[in-house]
Amino acid sequence: MTARSGLHPSDGRWITVGLGASLLIALGLPLIVALLWSFMDPATGWFAPDILPPSYALDHWEWAARNTDITQALLLSVGIGLAVTALTALLALPTAYALAKLPFAMKRAVELFILAPLIVPGIIVAVGIGTIFFRLDLAFSMPGVILVQTVGTLPFMIRVLAATIEAIPNDLINAARSLGAGPAAVARHILIPLAWPGFVAGGLLTFISSFEEFEKTFIIGSPFVQTLPVILWGYLGGRVMVFPTAAVVTFILLVPMLIVFFLAERVLRDDVMAAGMGKL
Amino acid sequence: MRRLPQGVVAALLVLPSGGYLALFFGLPLLLAFLGSFGLYARGGDGGFTLRHYADLFGTQAYRDGLVFSTYLAIVPTLVSLAISLPLAVGLAQTFPGRKLFNALYKVPLVVPGIVAAFIVMTLFDRGGLAARLLTPIGIDLPKIVRDDWAVGVIIATAWKAVPFMTLIIGGSLGAIQKDIILAARTLGATPLTAFWRIQIPLALPGITAAFLLTFIGGMGAFAVPNLLGPVYPLPLSVHMYVNAFERNNWGLVAAMGTMLSLISVLVLLAYYRTTRSLRTAYGGEVR
Repeated sequence: MTARSGLHPSDGRWITVGLGASLLIALGLPLIVALLWSFMDPATGWFAPDILPPSYALDHWEWAARNTDITQALLLSVGIGLAVTALTALLALPTAYALAKLPFAMKRAVELFILAPLIVPGIIVAVGIGTIFFRLDLAFSMPGVILVQTVGTLPFMIRVLAATIEAIPNDLINAARSLGAGPAAVARHILIPLAWPGFVAGGLLTFISSFEEFEKTFIIGSPFVQTLPVILWGYLGGRVMVFPTAAVVTFILLVPMLIVFFLAERVLRDDVMAAGMGKL
Repeated sequence: MRRLPQGVVAALLVLPSGGYLALFFGLPLLLAFLGSFGLYARGGDGGFTLRHYADLFGTQAYRDGLVFSTYLAIVPTLVSLAISLPLAVGLAQTFPGRKLFNALYKVPLVVPGIVAAFIVMTLFDRGGLAARLLTPIGIDLPKIVRDDWAVGVIIATAWKAVPFMTLIIGGSLGAIQKDIILAARTLGATPLTAFWRIQIPLALPGITAAFLLTFIGGMGAFAVPNLLGPVYPLPLSVHMYVNAFERNNWGLVAAMGTMLSLISVLVLLAYYRTTRSLRTAYGGEVR
């Protein structure tokens, strides 16, 4: 490593210092400021030129805990996230297998079509689907939101699963088939268990992208489907800026995501993640 | 049980997600494309017309919006690229705490755009923390939130895009065989020459893919420019929303969507040109 980079071994510590400082400024500082806002004392406020709030209170957290809008939005976000993840995995598995293991005509065209939702901005997809959902009576409904979010999560899941399935030796599948296992048995006893890390990693990331998704959810679901990001939008985009409230909702939104993300980090290798996104 | 021909099996396997995307992605886009010409449109008389495009290009606010959307796609992407490239190289070195940093830098990936916008507000809006810290030492911070150059939007978008680009670029840098770099070094290339002439060209498909995806994200962004961007011009994404849900002008919305998709497709074609010429230049499969 060091020979390749041409850096002296002791330079490693400078990288640590440099990266640490950058991360502290770019990541640590903003999160600390948001945390301070969430603990702001409404009695004293937090105005310029104070660098730190003059006093702290739990008022805004208590308000959030009592606020049924927020607890409902949290439950709704989790529910939609789970439904999107299940639907995405179910739709993705067969296609991922075909792309990874079967030669077929027009494979490149199919690959391109499956990646296409990544190329088109989400707002165009959402507005386009909106016109169809009006006719199907799916607009402003939870099923509508689940369906539109899945358009965005499907390409990534197919890529991650295909990359995982590609690594399963063909011999295993052929051996099972020649010993009399049908396609369903192969899927249940070989494909799904061996592709499990791909399912877990792809599933966790699908859940995250559903949980944080705003634009499509807002256009298809608002004002009747209020997920956490949609609620946060209300606090930030309105006429009155409510920083402490927004800060509390930010952490209610962020903490579950970070937990899920660090779980995904443990299962998902960087190269699989990069393969899922970086090759068009 | 009779074995089906492989082509039929593949078609059956592709059908669930292919059909899903055809129904909920392909069809809406096709309808939007036709609708932009007045065909099968909601609330239109169904005849072919170029009225919506005339409206789009004849209105100053929409023309400026198109330019502004492109600006919000290009500038944050270039800023992120300038940060991501050295970051990806740095993270590939050996240093204490590497594993921790490799996990931590990805955190903005899971932070919703709205939260990024909120963070920029708390730090850079008037009376934000940056102004509070800098005013005592005599630095007067210019307007960054809702400013003419959309600096706030650029900061928030780039903050979210850097880990994404770093991950993809790091992946393609890591996939390069070490022998090639060592060979270049043996032949007298300095580390910097080896980096620019060997690693960057070989990682170009990953770099351009990251560029493309960030570009498209910036161009279609709706929430962040709405919260942090200037009052004028508004990006086309915001005009789309307003015309769809407040003015019910679906033909114009379709024309705007088609224009934005067209720009995406042009950038995609440029991407394929870049990667194809690389494949020919270096021979074989280049990742």
